[in-house]
Amino acid sequence: MEVSRSVLVIGGGIAGMQASLDLASRGLKVYLAERTPSIGGRMAQLDKTFPTMDCSICILAPKMIECFRHPNLTILTYSEVQEVSGSAGNFTVKILKKPRFIDEEKCTGCGVCAQNCPVELPNEFDMGIGVRRAIYVPFPQAVPLKYTIDEEHCLKCGLCQRMCQADAVDFNQEPEVAHLNVGAIVVATGFELFDAQRRSEYGYGRYKNVLISLEFERLLSASGPTGGHLLRLSDGRIPKRIAFIQCVGSRSLKGGVSFCSNACCMYATKEAILIREHEPECEVYIFYNELKVFGKGFQDFVTGAQDHWGVKYIRALPGEIAEDSKTGDLTLWYEDTRENATRSMTVDIVVLCPALIPRAANKEVGAILGLELDEHGFFKPKDPLFAPVDTNVPGVFICGYCQGPKDISESVGQASAAAARAAEVIALSASKEVH
Amino acid sequence: MTAEPKIVAFLCNWCSYAGADLAGTSRIRYPPNIRAIRVMCSGRVDPAFVIRAFEMGADGVLVSGCHPGDCHYVSGNLKAEKKMQNTRKLLKLLGLGPERLRLEWISTAEGAKFAQVATGFTEELRKMEPNPLKAEGNPKAPASTKKVVSEALKKTNVQYCLECGKCSGSCPISKINEAYSPRRTVERFLLGYADKVLYGTDVWTCLTCFTCSERCPSDVRFPEFVRDCRSVASKEVMEELCAHKGVSLSLSRIMTNPNIKQERMGWLPNGAEIPQKSDLLYFVGCLPYFDVVFEDFNLNLLKIPQSVVKVLNKVGIKPAILGNEKCCGHDLLWTGDVENFEKLARMNVADFKETGATRIVTACPECYRTLKKDYAERLGNFDFEVLHFSELLSELVDKGQIRFEGKLPRKMVYHDPCRLGRHMGVYEPPRKVITSIPGVEMVEMDRSRENAVCCGVNAWLSCNKYSKEVQIDRLMEAKATGADLLVTACPKCQIHWKCVTGEKLPVNPEEVTMEMRDLSVLVAEAMHLT
Repeated sequence: MEVSRSVLVIGGGIAGMQASLDLASRGLKVYLAERTPSIGGRMAQLDKTFPTMDCSICILAPKMIECFRHPNLTILTYSEVQEVSGSAGNFTVKILKKPRFIDEEKCTGCGVCAQNCPVELPNEFDMGIGVRRAIYVPFPQAVPLKYTIDEEHCLKCGLCQRMCQADAVDFNQEPEVAHLNVGAIVVATGFELFDAQRRSEYGYGRYKNVLISLEFERLLSASGPTGGHLLRLSDGRIPKRIAFIQCVGSRSLKGGVSFCSNACCMYATKEAILIREHEPECEVYIFYNELKVFGKGFQDFVTGAQDHWGVKYIRALPGEIAEDSKTGDLTLWYEDTRENATRSMTVDIVVLCPALIPRAANKEVGAILGLELDEHGFFKPKDPLFAPVDTNVPGVFICGYCQGPKDISESVGQASAAAARAAEVIALSASKEVH
Repeated sequence: MTAEPKIVAFLCNWCSYAGADLAGTSRIRYPPNIRAIRVMCSGRVDPAFVIRAFEMGADGVLVSGCHPGDCHYVSGNLKAEKKMQNTRKLLKLLGLGPERLRLEWISTAEGAKFAQVATGFTEELRKMEPNPLKAEGNPKAPASTKKVVSEALKKTNVQYCLECGKCSGSCPISKINEAYSPRRTVERFLLGYADKVLYGTDVWTCLTCFTCSERCPSDVRFPEFVRDCRSVASKEVMEELCAHKGVSLSLSRIMTNPNIKQERMGWLPNGAEIPQKSDLLYFVGCLPYFDVVFEDFNLNLLKIPQSVVKVLNKVGIKPAILGNEKCCGHDLLWTGDVENFEKLARMNVADFKETGATRIVTACPECYRTLKKDYAERLGNFDFEVLHFSELLSELVDKGQIRFEGKLPRKMVYHDPCRLGRHMGVYEPPRKVITSIPGVEMVEMDRSRENAVCCGVNAWLSCNKYSKEVQIDRLMEAKATGADLLVTACPKCQIHWKCVTGEKLPVNPEEVTMEMRDLSVLVAEAMHLT
């Protein structure tokens, strides 16, 4: 059996990127497959990170570039894994590369095409708050910085084609199928968000000023739809009071998922501090049931938010939100469980922290690879304690949120672990071959 | 009659009680069958007292007051006359016979008349059968509080409570009554203070509207928890909190007696086709009784069953209806009287089987939940498909069997009854039926479907200022939609709202007064069947 000295990484978020870089630096050939037009994943959408308060894209972009430039690393964006056969040391993978209708070799990323595109669509990267065109890059730091035509919404008017000086637009592009031979596979499909509309008592989708945390993150971000100005979506006013609600759909035995997302208490604290930085007059309340601040430096972060930044924590989950249809103000009803009193509070914006859930597509990915999923849709590790990145399929490893709830630093650490295990498989298979 | 009849006499303090006294001091002989209860005015005698006397085995009830025009409170006796007319109607419905209740005017000077009335009434009752309610078995020994509470804690997930207080932030009562909180109620149970809670009002305050439960992340079914605990909670406290002096519960308990033969079919429209046996049984519910008890509200509640029958007949369905249908037992179950609930359930199911029906339809969400869920869970082997009338209507609309006549150009808003919506998850069928009526414009309240707000009272418990506030708030919300007709699918919602709008309101009456309609009546009207 010939051993392939290459590895496939599925998912171009921070976990997938870290695993890819680790493997590529070891001299292995890495294919990084990403479903969307750019690598970067969820971390690219964040304004800041906790507890370090780094600018998220500022620390992520260099890593993205590193992936792009690494001689051993091939990024396959806009691509999906369709079939996998073989076994550890020698997998054959069929990958579908969806047509961008742009010649990646020619496109310079200048953006003249998008300036001229007549179609306006909600921008997924900005969680639908901002707009993008039918020909677009998901965000300015996208890697590769190549435009993509959204086939579903494109009018085929040809304006972009006429304006493109590099002659990169190619409406005749067809889907391409690639067959790869790899020795190991690392899966890092990340998470998606619980649909906050399912907790209809909070009015998400009905009330303009009820946001979910990732939308709010974009609202705070300098690269976001408001250019980093904290404004209310209903009237463009600067908010005077903002409330966060934790555990929307998480830790629920009914109408949600039973696990804790591991990140919300901390990112809400981070966003709360950012609000106080942006608008020191704005009061911030975080409604929580239990604060999960177990990580290194986390407690100090929360204590600082309380003592230094004046963020107020209220131990209660609000029962419902009512909107004043004239002003757009929101009234929350809750029982302050420390004071044993049912109260109401009127705020300008409510930020819901929805459960972070494994991707629904894990089912298909699992079926293609033969991986077992747990009852929530996370990939099942071979052993939760001693083999957390191994799976039931030898040669296939998991890391990041698709393995279980975790934050960025844990995802990165686990990605390195998965990379090391994948490299080990290749090394062992190769040594067997020698004997 | 073999045994001597027992008569309970409610005598007015100013005239009849003195009259009875005069009969005694004058040494006028009359049979010793009368037990006198002195009341300040005959107008004080509520139908509930009379019904309760019969429930407890009285063969006759005498209510006596001052002659018209002589009332010390001007018109109390006239009110008594009206109330007793109503009470006679209830007795007729129950099949006890209206003649067991007598109203007499006896003044202070009429000792002889009192003796004559007492003698005459006793003679009359001696000729009649004894009150059938006398044949009562021994009540079961009370259940162990500890056992009931610990089972309820487990069964309704209360042990999973996270104490997040989402319940209190959702509860329509907690929001306005600081003293009440589902979370704190649960906390006290879990901390071992069950006995104290069971002697308080908190277990009776819950509207059982299921809003808290709908939103609880731990799936704690608080309303079912308090329901189960009510069976071992203080009945004295409950009776104090019962609206309408508990007449509804008395009526339900009376129906558990197998000797009762009701006469409840007087409402049937002319020419109605209701065979003895049919695949479909229409379960009417307590509407014939409510029509009497709430006569003053002019709600015309009997229009509901009449509409149901007319609509069904019009589309060619001939439903069976039970002539001696018993209360479904909903209010008994939710006030903790499990024993009598189960008696009613067993009797009803036996009668259902007689009709050969496989499907049961009802226009009352309480009956619907009770039959579909509680009968099935508690009796087992309940092989009937239970439908709310809105579900059947929606089915008929789908099949194109409902033909509406002309247009009904009105703006309507639909209120989700708790038991139809949150309890049973029926949200769409009523909406589908309403929007299928030509010309109708339907609007929604902000708080609709699973977020709909309760009509303020359940099982006739704890009707107080908080209930009124909840009701007014809901009516204002409905009115603010700009709709001119409020449609609901539960007769009790209408009763409660009508009640509050008839009282002195803290808001401009314009803001809450709305035309209301039951879904069944609306459909019958749109089909020109009324």
